[in-house]
Amino acid sequence: MIELHSNKLAVSFPELPLKPKLTIDFQRTLRIPDDGHDYPLPPGLGSFPLRHIDDFAPRVPANWLKRGGVLLPMWQAEALWLNFGARVLYDRETAYPFAIKVATGKISAITGETWQRGLSRNPQNYLVAPNQFWLDGYCVEKGIIRQFVAMPLGDGYSVEEQITGAAEFGGIQIEVFPMRPAIFEKRFPVQLRNQEALLSRKDNGIHYCLADADPSMGLAPGGRMRQEIYNDPFSIHDWDTEHGSRCFIHVVNSAAWQAITGQRPPSPPPTAAQYTKAGYPWFDYYDAEAKAVTGSKILAAVKSVFNKGGEKSSTPLPENESVMVANLVNVRAGLKNNQVREADFAA
Amino acid sequence: MSNALGKYLRKCRTEKQLQEGNSFSLRQLAGRIGVEPSYLSKIERGLEPRPSEATTRALALELGEDSDTLLAMAGKVSGDLQTIICKRPQVFAQLIRELKNMPDEAVLRLVREVRDGNW
Repeated sequence: MIELHSNKLAVSFPELPLKPKLTIDFQRTLRIPDDGHDYPLPPGLGSFPLRHIDDFAPRVPANWLKRGGVLLPMWQAEALWLNFGARVLYDRETAYPFAIKVATGKISAITGETWQRGLSRNPQNYLVAPNQFWLDGYCVEKGIIRQFVAMPLGDGYSVEEQITGAAEFGGIQIEVFPMRPAIFEKRFPVQLRNQEALLSRKDNGIHYCLADADPSMGLAPGGRMRQEIYNDPFSIHDWDTEHGSRCFIHVVNSAAWQAITGQRPPSPPPTAAQYTKAGYPWFDYYDAEAKAVTGSKILAAVKSVFNKGGEKSSTPLPENESVMVANLVNVRAGLKNNQVREADFAA
Repeated sequence: MSNALGKYLRKCRTEKQLQEGNSFSLRQLAGRIGVEPSYLSKIERGLEPRPSEATTRALALELGEDSDTLLAMAGKVSGDLQTIICKRPQVFAQLIRELKNMPDEAVLRLVREVRDGNW
């Protein structure tokens, strides 16, 4: 089941013995320059609001309603990243593992293939939590993603439109599968309590799906960023595909958010240049033990928003100038549970 | 009025003091929550059985306790819940009365799921 808790998707499986639970939230962030350079991870600027679509049924298109799910506001050319948090089981010294599929416009952000039922290992079409803390974009090369950037659906920029030629779904789609309980018991038997070992363990991940509709936005590939999508360290048969939960996230143009919900959308984030000039930090994350999947050739062939704009003789990304990152914070494996890479604005 | 809240707070504080030292002495804890030590002592001894919501919340935060539980022990309902109920008093009054005898598990099942549709 999936619930909304404080702008997070709370994905839980109360029917399984250990009641595994994963949270997913969508972090506001800077749009990194789409200039061909590889940038580090930008900060999290707080969660986007999420609302039940059914609460605004009279004011959303009928084809959104039939898909169910939640609404999320984004400005044109705004970026986001997905933050996965799993509850640590203290007697196992780990968080419960989940396999998470993420798609935009029903195109996998990992493989570039159209949405399919279940999980695939070759190529791997999912992330594994708790190994994967975050997902910032499309996996275009090994260790490189292109940032998720919102663009109006129908303008031709979204990955969905560039791959399928249609602007049908938009938004984000997520599906989460827990590890099979028997496999979990075998792999992670009860441990004697060891507080120090616990604190050094890593966070878990989540799976979810985001989608958009008419006042709707699609997600398109923005600038290049250093981020590894980790290989599944378990077996494909370890995942309990009979107990998946999925959700459709409709990305609403922030300009229409107030008309639909009666609430003000978040302000546009600062530009990468403003943020960098102020001396705030960027981040690099390393996990020496985990291996990364190779990038998707399909996604690598999709044009970035800037390049697509050049093709259309338009400038879809305002303030796209390159930045020199000086304040870089290295984050290594071993974050505490639910830790988000947040900037220190008191600086 | 019983001194359940005061006794409970003193038990929590002295346990913390044993584990973490004098940062949980009456004086230091009172300083952190912005009251006089004598006032905190009165709360613990039941001479001030209904501390303010702000003081109760601050104590809950410092002691790692649930603020709603401590407020209930002080005979209070948190302000945010009062606001929610006052906005739709009939609906919530009816709901609470109907739920009053249900077991905790059944109440927790009333959470709202995100609806999945056809896509």
